[in-house]
Amino acid sequence: MPLRLLKYALSKEHPAPRFFKAHETPKKSYDVVIIGGGGHGLAAAYYLAKDHGITNVAVLEKGYIGGGNTGRNTTIVRSNYLTPEGVNFYDASVKIYEGLSEELDLNLFYSTRGHFTLAHTESAIRTMRWRAEVNKHVGVESRVVGPDEIAKACPQLDLSCSGQAPILGALFHAPGSVARHDGVAWGYARGADRLGAEIFQNTEVLSIDVKNGKVCGVKTNKGYIETKQVLSAVAGFTPRITEMVGLETPIVIHPLQACVTEPMKPWLDSILVSGSLHVYVSQSSRGELVMGSSLDPYEVHSTRSTLDFVEGLTSHMLDMFPFLSNVKVVRQWAGMADMTPDFAPIMGKTPIEGFYLDAGWGTWGFKATPISGKTMAQTIANDSAPDLIHSFRLSRFEDYELTGEKGAASVGH
Amino acid sequence: MKLLNCPINGTRPLSEFIFGGEYRVAPDQDSCSDAQWAAYVHNRNGSPGDKKEWWYHSPSGTWFIAERNTLTDKVSRTYLLSNANLNPALESAQ
Amino acid sequence: MTLRIAKQTGEWLNRDKKIHFEFEGQALTAFKGDTITSALWAAGLTVLGRSFKYHRARGILSLANHDVNILVTDGIDTNMRADVVEVTEGMKLSAVNTSGSVKKDKNSYIDSISPLLPVGFYYKAFHTPRRLFPFWENIIRKAAGLGIVNFNYPRILKRKQHTHCDVLVIGAGPSGLTAAYLAAQAGLTVTIVDENKQAGGSLGYDRAGDAASVAQLQDLLNKVTSQDNITLLTASYAAGYYPDHLIPIVSAQGISKVRARAVIVASGAFEQPPVFRYNDLPAVMLGSAAQRLIYRYGVKPFNHGLVLTANDYGYRVALDLLQAGTKVVAVVDMRKAGDAAYTAKLIEHGVKIYTGHCVYEALASSDKSSVKGAVICAYDDKNNLALTSNKFTLACDGIAMSAGWTGASALLYQAGTGMQFNYQIEQFIPSRLPDGMFAAGKVNGVFNLEQRLQDGVRAANAAIGYLGLKAVQTEAITHTGSSPSHPYPMVPHEKGKNFVDFDEDIQIKDFVNAAKEGFDNIELMKRFTTVGMGPSQGKHSNMNAIRILAKIRNLPVEKIGTTTSRPFFHPTPIGHLAGRGFHAHRLTSLHDWHHTHGAVFTDIGAWKRAAYYPAPGQAKQDAIQAEAMAVRHSAGIIDSSSFGKIELHGPDAAEFLERFFTGVYKTQKVGACRYLMLLDESGVVVDDGIASRLAEDLFYLSIGTSNAAAVYREMQRYQQMWQLNLGLVNVTGAFGAIGIAGPAARIILATLTDLDLSDEAFPISCVREAKVAGVAARVIRLSFVSDKTYELHVPMSQVPHVWHALMTVGEKHGLRPFGSDTQRLLRLEMGHAMPGVDTDGLTNPFEIAADWAIKMNKAYFIGQRSLAILAKRPLRKQLVPFVLAQNFAGEMPMDCNLVIEGQDIIGRVTSISYSQFIGRCIGFAYVTPDKTALGSTFSIRTDNGSLVTATVVATPFLNNQKDA
Repeated sequence: MPLRLLKYALSKEHPAPRFFKAHETPKKSYDVVIIGGGGHGLAAAYYLAKDHGITNVAVLEKGYIGGGNTGRNTTIVRSNYLTPEGVNFYDASVKIYEGLSEELDLNLFYSTRGHFTLAHTESAIRTMRWRAEVNKHVGVESRVVGPDEIAKACPQLDLSCSGQAPILGALFHAPGSVARHDGVAWGYARGADRLGAEIFQNTEVLSIDVKNGKVCGVKTNKGYIETKQVLSAVAGFTPRITEMVGLETPIVIHPLQACVTEPMKPWLDSILVSGSLHVYVSQSSRGELVMGSSLDPYEVHSTRSTLDFVEGLTSHMLDMFPFLSNVKVVRQWAGMADMTPDFAPIMGKTPIEGFYLDAGWGTWGFKATPISGKTMAQTIANDSAPDLIHSFRLSRFEDYELTGEKGAASVGH
Repeated sequence: MKLLNCPINGTRPLSEFIFGGEYRVAPDQDSCSDAQWAAYVHNRNGSPGDKKEWWYHSPSGTWFIAERNTLTDKVSRTYLLSNANLNPALESAQ
Repeated sequence: MTLRIAKQTGEWLNRDKKIHFEFEGQALTAFKGDTITSALWAAGLTVLGRSFKYHRARGILSLANHDVNILVTDGIDTNMRADVVEVTEGMKLSAVNTSGSVKKDKNSYIDSISPLLPVGFYYKAFHTPRRLFPFWENIIRKAAGLGIVNFNYPRILKRKQHTHCDVLVIGAGPSGLTAAYLAAQAGLTVTIVDENKQAGGSLGYDRAGDAASVAQLQDLLNKVTSQDNITLLTASYAAGYYPDHLIPIVSAQGISKVRARAVIVASGAFEQPPVFRYNDLPAVMLGSAAQRLIYRYGVKPFNHGLVLTANDYGYRVALDLLQAGTKVVAVVDMRKAGDAAYTAKLIEHGVKIYTGHCVYEALASSDKSSVKGAVICAYDDKNNLALTSNKFTLACDGIAMSAGWTGASALLYQAGTGMQFNYQIEQFIPSRLPDGMFAAGKVNGVFNLEQRLQDGVRAANAAIGYLGLKAVQTEAITHTGSSPSHPYPMVPHEKGKNFVDFDEDIQIKDFVNAAKEGFDNIELMKRFTTVGMGPSQGKHSNMNAIRILAKIRNLPVEKIGTTTSRPFFHPTPIGHLAGRGFHAHRLTSLHDWHHTHGAVFTDIGAWKRAAYYPAPGQAKQDAIQAEAMAVRHSAGIIDSSSFGKIELHGPDAAEFLERFFTGVYKTQKVGACRYLMLLDESGVVVDDGIASRLAEDLFYLSIGTSNAAAVYREMQRYQQMWQLNLGLVNVTGAFGAIGIAGPAARIILATLTDLDLSDEAFPISCVREAKVAGVAARVIRLSFVSDKTYELHVPMSQVPHVWHALMTVGEKHGLRPFGSDTQRLLRLEMGHAMPGVDTDGLTNPFEIAADWAIKMNKAYFIGQRSLAILAKRPLRKQLVPFVLAQNFAGEMPMDCNLVIEGQDIIGRVTSISYSQFIGRCIGFAYVTPDKTALGSTFSIRTDNGSLVTATVVATPFLNNQKDA
């Protein structure tokens, strides 16, 4: 038992201080206002202070910190993308994640378990080969493996998927990990708070003041804040913010649902994803199976649950693991995802001076939390986006230079 | 929303329908600028509110328009695009 | 030492049927109808399970399907809820998540080191140094989880059904039964559902020692069962609320998805534990649990019991205990005064009543398996203080607790009901109900039995009126009398171990400490402490957590709010939710033939296609090469029935095609075929195909298999917009297609048709209608896989007949079947790029050098405007045909290998194959525009990292044949 827990046992009063101060009313002005107190916004505040010495920063969260998609996702971290730009970006995120518990002095349970993307068709194998080749080129450990290797890592998996969709192989991605999602938000919040950033919960942005194409302030339910730099980090709500500044983007909102079973003794060590069966699953450190599926098929700004989702998901789970028939689903929930046409984020500067976007995080936002915070902080500090996120710029749509992640979505004949 | 009213087939469960995105009118391609066209192709009106949307009743192959609030997920009405003259706003858009 | 008592009126047991079973190796008996828990309690066992975190001994809490500390396994199933699962003959049970036995769990040491495990401890340690984390994680992971999953558990296919009713009533207690009866009387079809094995709710067990309510319940049940239009479902729970009143009802048999026009929620309330030190000991249970034990299962909860209460309900419990033969040591009431009538009655029975007192702590028996007494002291209700100066101990062997309730409001929340905290009754009750939703009874804040019956009537009338029938609308009923719930049933104790959440072993101090660390709103507190996140989903803990947080923050409960309610009401088995499963596959009419001829199948879209036909023991590549050689040297035959097939009828058919596809069709002659390329609005290649003009006003389209449905759907959408004079028909399933290709194709076909097949009469890219083997066929001459290819489109049912005829005739010409994998090689030899293989989701026509297919001078086609923009931009990559060196013998590059220059990726291989016929490796690759000239070379990196030189050539590749 680590000694650091002894202080709790030996002390009469709980010795841990607040993670972050309970600010109520914002000051008259800040150098930077960050809209959204999720992992991304808080990470940006943290790196603004830590990397750039910018500490006169307000983070405005309309609910509670980490209450949006940070606290609703299935916590998978990976970098096995299709394009070199994508792989480089997410790999940089993985690298930060690996040392983040130490850096933030908070155990994020960053657990590297290995990630299998199962292929049930020849065309899926093709896409995986493509991803593996690009990953390899960039120096990320991904390779196409056969059924034997999958069986070794997960002997409980029915490789024939109940005879319905036999597994032909998989893309194995060694760095694939899971982490405690809440902890990521809390750790960045504490880090940012200690370095001087101010976090305001229950603080909603009502409008953004733009004059002559420049940001000059933000109106909130707690008063007006003068600022020349605003970062929108509100995946799931981005269109509501961009509408305030008259900015058009391709983003539409679709719910993404997930569910969790009762705890059972751990048996599933790997993270498994099946594109054909629309399932991703891992087992948490509490022993629950955490399961997700594909995006809801239509736009809705709501975190309601549907029965269709959980029926479809469980049916496919049983194809993979027939013995789970009587294991019980405890809870289902949903988040709202910013979807872009090329399955890549929208990051960086916008045509409005001082208005920065960290958006379009679709279903892949959690894994990018550290690197998005770092690169957005860099973008704000220098008023110029680093090369690492150049291909995610908003203007790529006008330029007809969508990112190649869309390529993976094409279907073979 | 779990039920949707197809103007031809009546009220059916949502699983029989496919979402076709917001009903949008393209700018005149001969007179619009490249930037206007690119914006039309890529950008979307993503904020919540009342939208006119394409929906497809799959078993019968029927495309129709549903007026739906994307925040509450309530459908106020559905009709065939060819009957859109019921709706002055749509008519002028055409 | 049995606690079984004499038969109780209305009990759920069949005492004629004895059940024999084992628990942790001990042989025991029970009666049919006993749950595992009731049977164990009757047998005098008290330690029935262990808690999740500290492995503390636990007994009964609710006996109402949230005793998640008592999960057992029978060796087959796990995490079985002993409080509700019936015991059956021969069961061999043991508790889950214990080491050794439940009585002597080796992991119970964790309880003694609990000070080392403060709230959120796992965030605070084990992460430095980083390299040791996997070690700690391994230990923590081993401690996690409850039961062990049985990997041999069978896949169980539960039934699903859809049902409809006018009114769904959730909860068959007094208010629900009353409401159901009234709605049925109005002529509505009613379904009433209750999770218990028998209807009645608290009317069955809350008796205050008097059996009169049994008769009242029977009367109500008789009325309900007399109505043909009421379906009463017991042992079934409403698992969640989904939009448009869709409610899945879960029973042991499966799921019934009920779609109701109106819903009356009469789901009652969960009794909430007061919180004091050692309130979790075995034999400390809720008052309602004690009542259920007595009246459902004929089991006496204790011999010498004490009642801790903070409402009138505890007095009723005391009377029930007396009736069961329990000596009631005392009633300890946290309030200043109790109900006069009940007090008098209890005093009559010689029960001592301590008002203004609390249980300061329960005392454990020496082996910690039960209770030996309770420390009582005065209680300052105003300041929430235990006044310990005059504390005293009462000996007892059990404590029944009744301090209050929280509505079973989960489905109301899920439906979007506005809830308000009512300080008269200290409970959240509905304030704004969604359309068609109604609430009645305890969940609606109505507790008195007479009032609950009235509330059932009121809610039923409201629902009847909502459904358009005449009904008397009455005012909401307001609770009269003292509050059923105590505002703050928490007794502070400096030594803690006063549990709020039994699933997760969370004590009062954990909330206090979480708030100190900044987790002081209810959602953050839930996440940090994990309150309510266990399998009982906060049914006994969320309300107290809210109260504690309100106290900490000095805010009214209303301001704290609640956490979001999510499905499921009770954890629901995966097998139930999954149902029978459904995988749609489409098979061609030749599927069985392919199967008997050894075909290996591949999934293309929803279709199963024959990929190739290996001889026994033949390798895939060898089979494909052999099939391809047959096509090149004699003839091959392929089942192409899965192709998408669409007919356009009408005068505007050509106009439609010109707008929809990139080519020109108005000038297309009848009997001619033209290429189709479909783009999306951004100019990306979506699919391609062939248009055959059968008449001035009839085009027959064949397009790729996997996109066919989507392409047809888009055609329908554009037709809605364009309103052209034509009809679209998807004939994919109506027609099958057979391709016959190769030098001998013509001679084989000629024997089965009168059609003139000469090049002059029937050149490439033409279509003819003729009889083939007596069947009316559309014959299309193509050059996709060979210059001599005929595609025969015949009704799907006739495909086998034509196929067999061709096979019979073709045998002597060396005709053999080939599959879709071979087709890919053949088309590659011909130099045809395939959308979806040689293109991806971003490829535009310029990038595959398909400029020839794009008629930019047309007025309009989908994607045209974007192409005009793209044409002005520099090309970033282009698809080129390439060959490897003549005698290349190194590691063969494969699909998706990258084209490398220096350190950079400059492209990738999309198709590559060795062609036996050509004698070389041929393929397509994307390269940068500077590498596209004929004769340019580039490097492909193989899987193992070697670089292979490829040379750009012209197509068709057949021209590169070594002897050509």
